[in-house]
Amino acid sequence: MAMGRSLFKTVFFSEILQGLRLTMKHLIKGKSITELYPHQKPDLPDGWRGAIVHLRYDDGTEKCVGCALCEAACPSHCITVISAERPDLPQKRIAETYILDMTKCVFCGFCVQACPVTALASSKEYELATTDKRKLVMTKDTMLTLGDKYFPIREKRPEYSDEKINLYEKLKAKNYPYAKKGEA
Amino acid sequence: MDLIIQIVVIVVHIAVVLGVVLTHVAYLTYAERKILSDMQDRLGPMEVGPHGLLQPLADGLKLFFKEDIIPAGANKIIFSAAPILVLVPALIGFAVVPFGRDSFFIGSIEFTPYITDINIGLLYVLAFSSIGAYGILLGGWASNSKYALLGGLRSAAQVISYELPLGLALVGPVLLSGSLSMKTMTEAQGGGFWHWYVITQPVAFVIYMICAIAETNRLPFDMPEAESELVAGFFTEYSGMRFSFFFLAEYANMILVSCVAVVAFLGGWQAPLAALDFIPPIFWFLAKVYFLLFFYIWLRATVPRLRFDQLMAFGWKIMLPLALVNVLLTSIVKYFLN
Repeated sequence: MAMGRSLFKTVFFSEILQGLRLTMKHLIKGKSITELYPHQKPDLPDGWRGAIVHLRYDDGTEKCVGCALCEAACPSHCITVISAERPDLPQKRIAETYILDMTKCVFCGFCVQACPVTALASSKEYELATTDKRKLVMTKDTMLTLGDKYFPIREKRPEYSDEKINLYEKLKAKNYPYAKKGEA
Repeated sequence: MDLIIQIVVIVVHIAVVLGVVLTHVAYLTYAERKILSDMQDRLGPMEVGPHGLLQPLADGLKLFFKEDIIPAGANKIIFSAAPILVLVPALIGFAVVPFGRDSFFIGSIEFTPYITDINIGLLYVLAFSSIGAYGILLGGWASNSKYALLGGLRSAAQVISYELPLGLALVGPVLLSGSLSMKTMTEAQGGGFWHWYVITQPVAFVIYMICAIAETNRLPFDMPEAESELVAGFFTEYSGMRFSFFFLAEYANMILVSCVAVVAFLGGWQAPLAALDFIPPIFWFLAKVYFLLFFYIWLRATVPRLRFDQLMAFGWKIMLPLALVNVLLTSIVKYFLN
C-alpha cells in the first residue's frame, strides 16, 4: 500500500507540484524583501550606531568638557582629545582639539557610554563613502554640525549657582589657577 | 515580375517572423528575470525605464559594444563559427510554425500566417534542433578551456539521451494526425479542447515537456552551463556579441520548443471551445505559447539542478522506455480503431 502511494506520488510529480504551488504563492502574494536602496532609504531602528557626533546645550554651547574619557574608552584608538581651560570660566574645561578618525572607528559606541556629560551620541549617519579619505577624519566642528542634523532637540544647560559664578570671577580676576609650566 | 513579387513576399514573411521572434526573445529575458525575482521575493530589474522595461535594450547595447575576445589557445575558426551554428538552427525552425489560421491579402498577394508549410515540418524542426547541439559541442571544444570542454561534453551526452525520447514523444501526435506537416497537425485538432492531443497523449506530452527542457539546457537540466560547477559551461570563454548569440539561441530555442509543443499537443491556434472561435486564432496560439514559457520559468524557480548521473539515468531508464511503450500502444490503438 505504502509502495503504491509512493509510486502514485512519483508518477504524478506530487513533490514538484508542491514546490510549484509554493513558488506560485510567492509570485502572487509575496512582498519584495529587497528595497530600491539609493532611491528608497531603509527605515533605521532606534539605537542604530552610525557616525559618532557631538551634542550641544540649548543655548548653543557644546557639551564636551574635554575630559578625554572617550579617548581612554576607545578600543581602536581613533579619538584624540587635547583639552584646555575655558578662557571665560577658569576651572571649566573644553576640548581645544577633538579628532575622531572615522577610518579607524569600529562604531562600538563605547565613547558614547564613557562620556560623563552625554556630549557624544551615535547618529543614524551611515552613508560614509567618500572619494576623499581625509573627509573621514572628523573634527569637532564637523561632528557638531552632524549632531545638529540628527539631534535637533537639545538638553537644557545646567544653571551655575551665583556662588559658583562669583568664585569663577574671583579666580579669573586673580589669574588663578592657570597652571603654568614650572610653577607649583 | 511575378518572381520578384514572390521573393519580396517571402522576404517580408521572414522579416516579420524574425522580428517578432527576436522581440519575444528580448522580452522573454525580461519576463524571466521579473517572474523569477517575484517568486524569490525580490524586485528584479527596476532601473532602466519604468519597472525596468527597457532593460533588454540596455543589455543588448551593452553586449553589442563589448570587446570581442578570442582566447589565445582557441581554435579561431571553430570558435567564431560555433555561436552562429547555435543561433541559426534555433531561428530557422520558426519557418514551419503556423501562427494563425487565415491568410490575409493585399490586392492579390497572399500573406500566409506561416513562412512555409512543408510536409516534413516536424522532422525539419527536430533535425535543426539537433544541429544546434553541434554548435554547443564545438564551442566548448574550441574554447580550449576545461570548463567549456566539460560543458560541451555534458551537452553532447545530454542531447543524445534526450533527443530520442523527444522524437518518440512526437511520434504519438504524428501517428494520430497522420502527417508531419505542422499545419495539417493543427487542423486535425480542431473542434474543442478534447480533440487536442494532450488529452489523448498525456504521457507523450509530459515526456516532450521534460525532454524539451533538457534540449534547451534549461533548469533543472542545465548541466552544460551549470554556473556553480562550470562557471558558465560551454560559453565560459565567450564575450560580447558571440556570447549574446548563445544567449539569444537559448531563448529562441525555448520559444521554438514551446511553439512545437503547442502545435503538436495543444491544438496550435485552435480555440478550446467552438464558441470561442470569434477570438482571432493568433491570440490562442500566443496565449498557449506564453503559458508554456511561463511554465518553464516557473519550473526554473522551483526545481533544483539534477546530478549528472541522475539526469542520464532518468533519460535512458525512464523516458526512453516510456516513450517507446507510448508509441507502441498508440500504434496498436490507432490500427484497431481504423
